[in-house]
Amino acid sequence: MTKTNTHKKQTIFDYLAARFSLKQFIFWIVLIFFLVTILFPFYWMVSSSFKTYAEIGGRAPVYVPSKLRLDAYSELFDPSNPSYQNFGRNIRNSLLVSVPTALIAVILSTLGAYAIARFHFKGKNALLNSVLLIYLFPGVLLIIPLFAMLSHFATLFGFEVQDNLVVLVITYLSQTLPVALYMLTNYFRTIPDEIEQAALIDGCSHMRVITKITIPLSVPALVSVFIYTFMIAWNEFLYAFIFLNSRSLFTMPIQINTIFNDPSPRPHVVMAASTIMTLPIIILFLSLEKFLEKGLVSGGVKG
Amino acid sequence: MKNSGRLGKGITLRQREERLAWRLIAPTAIIVLGLVLFPAIFNVWISFHKVNLGALRDVFGAPFNGLANYKNVINDFSFKFENFQNMGVVVTSIIYSLASTILTVLLGLGAALLLNRPFKGRGVTRALFLFPYVAPIVSVAFVWRWILDPRQSGVMNDILTRMGVIDMPQAYLSTRGLALLLVIIFEAWRYFPFAMLMILARLQAIEDALYEAAEVDGANNWQKFQHITIPELRYVLGATFLLRLLWTFNKFDDIFLLTGGGFGTKVLPILTYEFSFKTFNFGKGAAAAMLQLVLVLAFMLVYLKFVMKEED
Repeated sequence: MTKTNTHKKQTIFDYLAARFSLKQFIFWIVLIFFLVTILFPFYWMVSSSFKTYAEIGGRAPVYVPSKLRLDAYSELFDPSNPSYQNFGRNIRNSLLVSVPTALIAVILSTLGAYAIARFHFKGKNALLNSVLLIYLFPGVLLIIPLFAMLSHFATLFGFEVQDNLVVLVITYLSQTLPVALYMLTNYFRTIPDEIEQAALIDGCSHMRVITKITIPLSVPALVSVFIYTFMIAWNEFLYAFIFLNSRSLFTMPIQINTIFNDPSPRPHVVMAASTIMTLPIIILFLSLEKFLEKGLVSGGVKG
Repeated sequence: MKNSGRLGKGITLRQREERLAWRLIAPTAIIVLGLVLFPAIFNVWISFHKVNLGALRDVFGAPFNGLANYKNVINDFSFKFENFQNMGVVVTSIIYSLASTILTVLLGLGAALLLNRPFKGRGVTRALFLFPYVAPIVSVAFVWRWILDPRQSGVMNDILTRMGVIDMPQAYLSTRGLALLLVIIFEAWRYFPFAMLMILARLQAIEDALYEAAEVDGANNWQKFQHITIPELRYVLGATFLLRLLWTFNKFDDIFLLTGGGFGTKVLPILTYEFSFKTFNFGKGAAAAMLQLVLVLAFMLVYLKFVMKEED
């Protein structure tokens, strides 16, 4: 600033030039470009969900809905609407699949990760390597043998493969457990084991050590693993698409796909349903960003 | 615990611990072995047998089929390279995954460099940058389809018409070539945050002393980037590239939801899906999946041997 002050006249351009170098200017332009490209689709999703059918089907796109209209949401939730979708049922199905998946994954992987992080045992490396295989195998490869295998056992033991949320939870566990195990093992290795050793010497059993010491020390990691696995199950498309046939059992992604492919296109309804599905994920993510990012960087996610 | 008490005298502490370890990991191991490892091996078996919908009642009794499934896949009209209009799934898959991975890593590098500078609101910006990656695929795929709507009222058509880029509304996702390009751009849009996070974590670990020393030697920014940043990032760039390529190559949802695999965007996972769950020829589907796996493994071996080795 001292340099520009020595000039006799200072135009606005001189001021700007002194304030913002070319480098900074480019920096902000690029940053804004990134932000617009990232956020516009999200704006478009939420704003379209508040449009009317007329606004959606007009000759030109409506950039800002005239009013926050709930037409689309009423089609999803209001039983008196002529094309009522009963979306509440789909939210319930998604929760019925995601919550047990996340809960079971956290419990089982806590035990497994403790064993891997604290004990030496034969076959540990072989086991860890086979866990990592899930990263290599395409979901579409595994679904063929899984489907065939489960159908075989279904006829054998008399249960349904399709339209069975329990089967879906089990297949989701195969996708999420390796991730959870990997993340928690890494975390447990960072907890110094002196306290655990002391408790063991005092005569605590390993199970007691896990519940009284390891778990309380790992609450943030456990929460983020829960949310991670929850998100994987909540977002999952392919397995649900193949294993669910009946509309009453559709999870949200499958129902949204069905509404999208309806012969009479109603994008505002699709956008409303997408908004409902996306919002909890974004909120969960933002509230736990720090923990979740660590998991992302450590390669915990396959996506 | 009762077990070890009864045997108490005979076994060592180490054996007892080993037993406990196995008990703790057993549920996870059973699920992973039963639902990942076994199916993976079983898939090889299926690919050599005639397995259709009728065979599902007794899969293990399906008749042996030799290489017929593999021959059927390779001779399938959508598999082979015909010409550049009709590239076939293998070539499409390779172009699609290579191009979108390169673009993803480049965008991720750019975003990481942006966010590595301190500025007001960096924390918020960083969180916003991750949105495309955390949002459910179904939502973002359908928003993009709605943005790229072929009618005049589609946003992309409207914006490009106003800017004078196009005269006629375009059917973006149902035009050969353009559809593939857009799917590639979509992948980069969705997955660059992953690359960004990996690169950013590494960037922040580079010691300032290196840059300070370069400054003393009179290096400019470009020289610093070229001689410090890039060498320090080489490993993470290589690893991110490999991971993303692997996952993109195996990805089903994105293309299925965007184009359904039509208009020159059919990739191997879509073909595998169509064989097994549209025509219910599971043997053929399994064979297609095996070919996909072989391609991935071959690429990984070459990559790890030649590209990543050099960097050690």
